[in-house]
Amino acid sequence: MSKKKSSLGRQKIPIEKIPKKSHLQVTFSKRRSGLFKKASELCTLCGVEIAIVVFSPADKAFSFGHPEVESIIDRYLSRNPPPECSAHQLVEAHRNANVRDLNMQLTQLLNHLEVEKKRGEELDHVRKARQRQFWWESPIDELGLHELLQLKVSIEDLKKNLGKHASKIMMEQSNMSSQIVAANGLGRFDAFETKPGAGMNIASTLPNNAYYLGFRHAYL
Amino acid sequence: MTRKKVKLAFILNDSARKATYKKRKKGLLKKVNELSTLCGIEACAIIYSPYEPQPEVWPSPMGVQRVLAKFMNMPELEQSKKMVNQESFLKQRILKAKEQVKKLRKDNREKEITQLMFQCLSAGNIPHNNLSMIDLNDLAWLIDQNLKDIGRRMETLEKQAQMTQSQSQMAAPPVAPPAPPLTLSGIVAKNEEVTLMDHGHGLEMSAETVPRQWFMNLMNGNGNETMASGQTNLQNGFWSNPLLP
Repeated sequence: MSKKKSSLGRQKIPIEKIPKKSHLQVTFSKRRSGLFKKASELCTLCGVEIAIVVFSPADKAFSFGHPEVESIIDRYLSRNPPPECSAHQLVEAHRNANVRDLNMQLTQLLNHLEVEKKRGEELDHVRKARQRQFWWESPIDELGLHELLQLKVSIEDLKKNLGKHASKIMMEQSNMSSQIVAANGLGRFDAFETKPGAGMNIASTLPNNAYYLGFRHAYL
Repeated sequence: MTRKKVKLAFILNDSARKATYKKRKKGLLKKVNELSTLCGIEACAIIYSPYEPQPEVWPSPMGVQRVLAKFMNMPELEQSKKMVNQESFLKQRILKAKEQVKKLRKDNREKEITQLMFQCLSAGNIPHNNLSMIDLNDLAWLIDQNLKDIGRRMETLEKQAQMTQSQSQMAAPPVAPPAPPLTLSGIVAKNEEVTLMDHGHGLEMSAETVPRQWFMNLMNGNGNETMASGQTNLQNGFWSNPLLP
C-alpha cells in the first residue's frame, strides 16, 4: 500500500513572476480569494474601509470594497470626505448588522466543517487499523480474484439477511401502528444525505416521511 | 501567525484593535504585492482608517491612479461583474462552506455505513438492534455499490488473466502445453489474524488447494463467534461458483 500525497503542501516560493502559465493562473485564483478574505477580516475586526482592485492575467477586473468599491474610489479620487447625513448612517448601521450576522453564520459553518473533517480523519484511521486484521476491509483494487469472490459471496449473503431483517422490522411496526406509510414525494433522495445524528443508535421507529420507500424501494 | 483563533467580530478593546489593524494592514499590503509580482498583474489597494487622516495606498499614489483609470475605463458591466462588498463576499463564502460541509457529511456517512457493513461481515449477521430504516436502506445501497465494484474488478482481473495465459501459450514451444501461472495465496493464520499475500494475481486455482480453514477465518475474523448459517452459505456459494473448474 503506497502512501500518495494529494498535494505538495505549503512550499516556499520565490517572489517573482511564475514561469508556467497554468501555475500562474491557479496561483492568481487562490491568492486573489485569500486576499479578499484578509481584506474582509480586516474590515470586520478593525472597522476600516477598503477598496482593492486587481486585474487577472486575462485582464478581467476583480474588486473588493467595504462599504462599496465605487464609493471608496469616488472618495479617493475626489478627495471628498464621506457624507455624514443621518440617512446614510442608518443605511450603514443596517448593513453592518447584516455583515455581523453573516460573519456569525460563516463562523458556525467553518466550525461544522472542522468537526466533519476530524470525524473523517478518525474514521479513516479506524479503517486503516482494521485493515491489518481483516483483509476484506482493504480497498477492492488491492484484492485478488479469489478474495474478491469470497467477499462477493459474503456480501450477497449479508444482502439476503438484510432483506429479511428489514421485512421483519416493517412487519413489527405495521402491527404496532395502523399508519399507512405513504411514499411522500420528497423527490430525489440520495443515499447518505441524512442530518447528523439521524443514523446509528436511534431506535428503529418508522419515520412519517418515509421518503426512502419511494426512491429506493428496490433495496428493501 | 496567531496562536489562538480570532473571533470574526469587531474588536472592542481600542488598543488591541489598533495593534491588530497595524499588523493586518501590513500583511494585507504584502499579499497584494506578492499577488502582483507572482502573477505579473496590476493591482491597487486603498485603506481608510480612523488612525490616519490620509488613506493608506498601494503601490503608490501614481500606481493607484493608473490602476483606477484602467478600471474606470472599462464598461460598467465589466467593472461590476466581479465586484463584491462584504455582504456579497460573505454570502459567497457561506455558500461554498455549506457545500463543503454537505459533501463531507455525505462522505463520512458513507464511511460509517461501510464500517457497519464490515462489522456485519465479521459477525456473520446484523449485530445492531437499534438501526433505523434509514441506516438499513443506506446499508442496502452500499452493498449494491460494493457488489458492482467487485464485479467490475473481477472482470478486469479475469481479462488480464486470460491475456497473460494466451500470451504464455503463444510463447511456449509447440510441443508442451504451458502451465498457466499459478499462485497460491499464502494463508497465515496467526492467532486470529488472517493475512493474504496474494494480491492482484488471482487466477485459476483448484478447489482442493484452498484449506477449509480459510472460510472459517473469513467469518470469524477477530472474534470466536461461529455463525453456522453464514458459513454454510459461504461454502455453498464458493463451491457452486461457476468460476471453479
